[in-house]
Amino acid sequence: MKAWKYVVAVWMTIVITAGFLIHIPEIPILEQTARNIFFHVPMWMTMFTLFVISFWYSIKYLNEPADIFDVKASSAAAVGVTFGVCGLLTGSLWARFTWGSWWTFAEPKMNLAALALMIYVAYFVLRSAFDDRQKRAKLSAVYNIFAVTTIPFLLYVVPRQLTSLHPGADGNPAFSEITADVLRWILYPAFIGFIALGYWIYEIYVRYNKVKLEIENS
Amino acid sequence: MQEDSLAAVDTLTQAYSDQWSGTSGAEEAGAFVQFMSSNELIYVVLGVSLIIWLVLLVFLFRVDKKVAKLEDQIKTDKEV
Repeated sequence: MKAWKYVVAVWMTIVITAGFLIHIPEIPILEQTARNIFFHVPMWMTMFTLFVISFWYSIKYLNEPADIFDVKASSAAAVGVTFGVCGLLTGSLWARFTWGSWWTFAEPKMNLAALALMIYVAYFVLRSAFDDRQKRAKLSAVYNIFAVTTIPFLLYVVPRQLTSLHPGADGNPAFSEITADVLRWILYPAFIGFIALGYWIYEIYVRYNKVKLEIENS
Repeated sequence: MQEDSLAAVDTLTQAYSDQWSGTSGAEEAGAFVQFMSSNELIYVVLGVSLIIWLVLLVFLFRVDKKVAKLEDQIKTDKEV
């Protein structure tokens, strides 16, 4: 087992503990749920990272059709979707106790995030439609390149131009002067920790799929 | 939209508050119980979260090692 995995284990334990323990200023409505930022937002950052990895290997597959690139692209997309689902569920729970509703169709980021995930669910539906491995790999690589291009528009460009309950709406920066500075001390390490954790899970999943592929081939 | 307010959902505080004794007597208890009972019980939430995280972490380590074992097995099978 590689050393960096132990670093991630310790790092994340510290981040979670510090996320609960640091003193945060009183914020109306949010109150202690402001700490959710340490856990909810990194879910999305991890999802983005994994989707970029998936995109990268889809391009590589189209360049050179080797099975391993397809395995890496689909594994990264699967782990990315898992983190995205965590982001949606944590956001929904948080919304209930701050905005007052589990789900609201007036909130663009929430709905577009759900739409983005559905685009990736369609990627797996598409994959399941082929029995021929080469055909599946090639067509899903093309689809994946389309899918990833929607992500910045659905989660950054469009919601920022609309009125939204999320920070960063109406063309404002997400981390403005109204956000407590002290939150950054945990938020940025949490980004690093969760992205590394996501990469770890992805790496295990790739290895599992590689073993599966070898058994199928033998 | 949602009819139920936070107060309506909270059926516990009033119904059970006089029967719950979780934090009573914490002043005389040991250092650990005193610590856990302080700050509106936030440390209990931290404890729960850490238990979940550490159990998942152990699971992740185990899966990682199991996959490594499978990889070794395939490698030796190829050499034979």
